Parts: sequence; structure tokens; C-alpha cells
Amino acid sequence: MPSEYAALVAALKLSTTPIAEYAWKTRPEGAFRVISLDFESGSLNADGEKIDRSWEGSVDLFYPKLTDRDDLIEETEEILTEILGNSWELNSTQYETGTGLFHVEWTFTVLDNEEPETEPAAQNAGDA
Amino acid sequence: MPYEMKVDGMAEISETLSRMEERAAAVASKALYEGAGVMRREVAKQIASIKTAPFQYAGPGQTRLPSPEEKAAVERAGAGVAKFDKNGTEVNTSVGFANSGYTKLAGKTVPVPKIVNAINSGTSFMQKQPFVRKASKGGANGAMTAMKNVIETEFEAMNKN
Repeated sequence: MPSEYAALVAALKLSTTPIAEYAWKTRPEGAFRVISLDFESGSLNADGEKIDRSWEGSVDLFYPKLTDRDDLIEETEEILTEILGNSWELNSTQYETGTGLFHVEWTFTVLDNEEPETEPAAQNAGDA
Repeated sequence: MPYEMKVDGMAEISETLSRMEERAAAVASKALYEGAGVMRREVAKQIASIKTAPFQYAGPGQTRLPSPEEKAAVERAGAGVAKFDKNGTEVNTSVGFANSGYTKLAGKTVPVPKIVNAINSGTSFMQKQPFVRKASKGGANGAMTAMKNVIETEFEAMNKN
């Protein structure tokens, strides 16, 4: 799992709004967020190897009261900016007629680049 | 005796150049048509991978998967290609479900875009399966290659004439 994604999940868990992760089976009450890593997108392949692996994921916010909107949206976007910088965007805003919930969706891209960072260190240790 | 120089064929070049924009727009439309086809096929491929479960109402605190009937409705509608919007040599279109009509589900008439949106973006009681987003990211390279190929072949043919 990309470290940035794990950091994002941890940061969202610190918030008072409940969070449902990938493959969630139960629906929390009131306002809640859903976070999932959706699919691989934008990976860099060169010389028949995968140089950088990149994933696209999404954060969804469901909230029942319009008065909560600004706080919840602002909080989510602050967390996204803090962890991911600017590699996220607001994808859609919707309204569910059946449940009366508002639904805001952000998508983000995270890079799974842990391996290249550890490789040079191991080489140096061997040389010494 | 003065040395005389004569250049022929300027009229033809002039005529060709004056028709260039028109021909470029036609090539762009042809390329876009191919590109849109690639995207449509990519969406169709992603629709096939939607997970389903027999329909049951999601009670309080429960979630559900899309029903096979909902998937069939999306499959039947398929992604459409919007009317080409031409402006000089620029041609625009979009591939999606915006105008894919209605379907009958358990006696109710439901808009297909609403079903697509529920599956693609998820709802408070349905986990998302972002097949349109995945197709748009996964098919972009293929569509671009297809469009490039059409443009190259067309321009080669134009240069020969």
C-alpha cells in the first residue's frame, strides 16, 4: 500500500467524522467519509520495467445537513492538501434523492515509490 | 538576352492552401471518430467487469451491490458519442451516458445515467465501481494513438495528391 495513502487514511481517522474504508459493508449514520484506492493509473514504464507505480483513489463525503457543508468540505480539503499537496481534485457533487444525503467526491493520485528510495542505501552499505 | 524564369503551378498551390482548413477539419473529425470508438470499446470492457448481486433493499446501516438488471441496462445502453462540435479546425465531442434514455426496473422507469452515476461514483449504500473513470484513464493512450495514426495516414494521402 502506498505510504501516502496510509498517511491519508490515518489523518482522516483523526477527524470526528466516521470513515468507511475499501470494501465497507456497513453504513455509518449521519455524515461519513469513504476512502478507497480505486485502480492503477499513470504508472511509468521504461526498459520493460515498472519505474514508478501510481494509483488513483477517491475520498467521498456524505452529509445530511446543508449547514454542515462548509466545515466538512474545508476539513477534507485541508487534510488532502496536507498529505498529498495538490495531487487531488474535486470530481463531483451530487444529491441522493432516496436518502436525502449530499455527496461530494474527490479523486487523488498517489505514487508508490518506496523501492527506489531503499535501493541506493543498500548499495552504499555493500560498498562500504 | 534576358534570362527568363517561370514558375508553374502556383494556382494549384493557392487552391490547395485555400482548401487546407476544410480538409484539416475533415481529417480531425475522422480521427476523433476513431478515438471516440476506442473510448467506447474501453467503457464496454469495463462494464463487463462490474460486480453484481441479486437485488435487495439496503436496510439501515447496510450496503448493497448493483443488481444484474441494473448492469444489463447499462450494458444495453452502452457509452454514446455526442454530436461533433466543429469550430474551424477544432472538433470536440464527449463519450458517456448523458443521453442514454430510460429503462424499466421492477416496474419503475429509471434514467440510465442515474444508474451509471450510482455505480461509478457510489452512493451512501453502494460501494463505488468507477468503471467510467477507469476507462477514461485507461483508454486515453489508445485513443490518442488511434487518432495520431488516422491523421498521419490522411496527411500522407493528401501529400501524394
